[in-house]
Amino acid sequence: MNEKDLKSMIESILNEMVGNAPAETSSKPAAPAPSAAPSVAVAEPAQQAQPTASAAAQPTMAPQEQMQEQVDTGECLDDITEINLRKLLLVDDPEDREGYLKMKEKTPARLGVGRAGPRYKTITSLRFRADHAAAQDAVFSYVSEDFVKEMNLVAVETLCSHKDEYITRPDLGRQFSAETVEYIKQNTTKQAKVQIMVGDGLSSAAIEANLRDIVPAITQGLKMYGLDAGNILFVKHCRVPSMDVIGDATEADVVCLLVGERPGLVTAESMSAYIAYKPTVGMPEARRTVISNIHSGGTPAVEAGAHIAELIKTMIDRKASGIDLKL
Amino acid sequence: MNEQLLSVGIDMGTSTTQLVLSKLHIENLASSFTVPRLVITNKEVVYRSDICFTPVLADNRIDMIQIQQFVLEQYEKAGITKEDIQTGAVIITGETARKENANEVLQSLSGFAGDFVVATAGPDLESIIAAKGAGAHTYSKDRSTSIVNIDIGGGTSNLALFASGDLLDTGCLDIGGRLIKVDQNSHEITYIAPKIKQLAERRGIALALGQRVTPVDLEPIIGEMVKLLEESVGLRPLSDFYDTIVTNKGLKLDRNIASISFSGGVADYIYNDATGDVFQYGDIGILLGRAIADSPLTKQLTVARAVETIRATVVGAGSHTTEISGSTITYTDESFPIKSVPILKLSVSDESGDDETLARAITDKLSWFKLNNDLQQVAIAIEGKSSPSFQEVQKYARGLHKGMAELLEQQYPLIVVVHHDMAKVLGQTLYALLDYKKDVICLDSVVVDNGDYIDIGKPIADGKVLPIVIKTLVFH
Repeated sequence: MNEKDLKSMIESILNEMVGNAPAETSSKPAAPAPSAAPSVAVAEPAQQAQPTASAAAQPTMAPQEQMQEQVDTGECLDDITEINLRKLLLVDDPEDREGYLKMKEKTPARLGVGRAGPRYKTITSLRFRADHAAAQDAVFSYVSEDFVKEMNLVAVETLCSHKDEYITRPDLGRQFSAETVEYIKQNTTKQAKVQIMVGDGLSSAAIEANLRDIVPAITQGLKMYGLDAGNILFVKHCRVPSMDVIGDATEADVVCLLVGERPGLVTAESMSAYIAYKPTVGMPEARRTVISNIHSGGTPAVEAGAHIAELIKTMIDRKASGIDLKL
Repeated sequence: MNEQLLSVGIDMGTSTTQLVLSKLHIENLASSFTVPRLVITNKEVVYRSDICFTPVLADNRIDMIQIQQFVLEQYEKAGITKEDIQTGAVIITGETARKENANEVLQSLSGFAGDFVVATAGPDLESIIAAKGAGAHTYSKDRSTSIVNIDIGGGTSNLALFASGDLLDTGCLDIGGRLIKVDQNSHEITYIAPKIKQLAERRGIALALGQRVTPVDLEPIIGEMVKLLEESVGLRPLSDFYDTIVTNKGLKLDRNIASISFSGGVADYIYNDATGDVFQYGDIGILLGRAIADSPLTKQLTVARAVETIRATVVGAGSHTTEISGSTITYTDESFPIKSVPILKLSVSDESGDDETLARAITDKLSWFKLNNDLQQVAIAIEGKSSPSFQEVQKYARGLHKGMAELLEQQYPLIVVVHHDMAKVLGQTLYALLDYKKDVICLDSVVVDNGDYIDIGKPIADGKVLPIVIKTLVFH
């Protein structure tokens, strides 16, 4: 990199730092046109992240060209959350690499991350933040309306009017307005053997990741036992006990709620199934049976669906759920 | 929940027949909030029989009546009946597997010993079962190391190599303690096995029937036998006689082996010194054991003490043959046990295409199992996928359904064995495709290969899992 390029690069960085400060003071005739400078600055960070030789090669181009190049390639950073942590050993020069990896196979805990001085390595810090961000996104995002339509779900919502209220008022997340209850009654089969419902809960990502695979597995399994799934409800701002209201409204024998679990750093896509025999508002929590940990790294959605179908059948036969049902 | 299975192991070996009873403890290790996960948590040997000589009739056939009597006697001594036995295996090993009526005896004894006591045979399986009985796989898993177990019996030395609990390789050599027999009183050689005779000639060692010998006279030939064992685990370059001494195959020797353990009758004289006359058993077993103890086998490798020596194979058969299937499976038929069904394992490329590719592969390969144009009962095995989509499950089911068309005409249920956890949904999908008219058994978490057989027992743990035995049935 020659001096001129270096200079123009530093200028752009400085420009970015101080915003659109006038560049004239420091610029000499050879420097890039001031108007182009802010655009370059916007493009710059992406380029800096490239560890390859491209950073050194690019500055020889005119700034205008450089900007265009950035727009055209549409490059982006690799998604670091794609890296399988169980296979990533960051300890330098381990005594027994194979043994370490063998141990890591058995746990999602972040073992063997190594260190840089007293701190985490950069990749570890970034990954931690990325996973944390994914967890937060899962809580605060919504299941898309298109997805609800695609899955043919009957959409309703609890008394919560927005996410903040949903987070702070658990009591509202388990209640419906009188009109909604009426709407639910109209769109479901009265006294069905089984009523399936889906709730966003604390992870919309979990619903979008698992529903396509678990719903057909459950309905297929139910069919094998001569049970019809009927219409499936989708509840926005859903807390688990909302299934009790659905139980009262539909008078179904068994209500099965598929709900997004509170996300953690291992996965933001974990879903649970809460299943109860004749649930009713105010019933003890012990009457719910739960199958948790449904995600690609836990129980596969399809296999969980097949298992849930059988579980529903058992509940109908034995007229019990939760701790009353000895499995 | 803690359920127990009573398991029997019977080993009909070259020289001795033995029996053990084991208790297998089964527990659900999953929390109440997830799908069940049942595993065998503990195996304990609760009864060890006397060791009797394998009874052979005058025409060199195995005396089945006597063996049956032996089994009955031992059951009585242990205070149990045949009906108490829930699982187990009979293994026929060494020379005995070469007898004319070996298969017949094996099959009838397995039914005689218990409803779900399976028949097993084959040099590779012998090696694996003996090594597991000796505790080699547990040792390698606990210490995250590699270990070779050599089970040295009367006629053969069976090798099995494990690393971190996984089986890597097996091998078998015609080296054993009774390949040269010596009269207890006169110390005259009464028998020399053909291969040992050949080895002596090749090395220029004088050895003849009727020759009166001392331990020193036998040193050279026993030394050659030990050298061949050293070759078999990679401590010495392979000699010109190695290929001859190998029974069916040796270890691949493509990696370093850290530890070694010994089982079989000869092992006792490797780990311990014998008291009394070295020819007290009328063979060279004690001398062979001593020679191994003084060889590079114990000096260059870390020696692990086997938990069982002469009983390793029978304990392996009793405690380590029964496995349990995955805990989310499908079976629509209850006519268990199903015995000795050969496995047709599809290749990865068969599975990676669409359903038509899978169906064609199954149809093609099923013809291997035709005997006089009659198709035997076959279990289809696939790898499957971890966390498949519902569409992928349907693809597998359609492929299996089409490919197994010929099997549908048989009275047996369809049997599908999957490695990855997807058997419940796959079984249900397959059952739906069959219009709920043909029974399906779909198991997962089971690793099998072509050449294997599967036995499936009655459901246990409230029907959640099926006990299974994966085995071979190879007679020499």
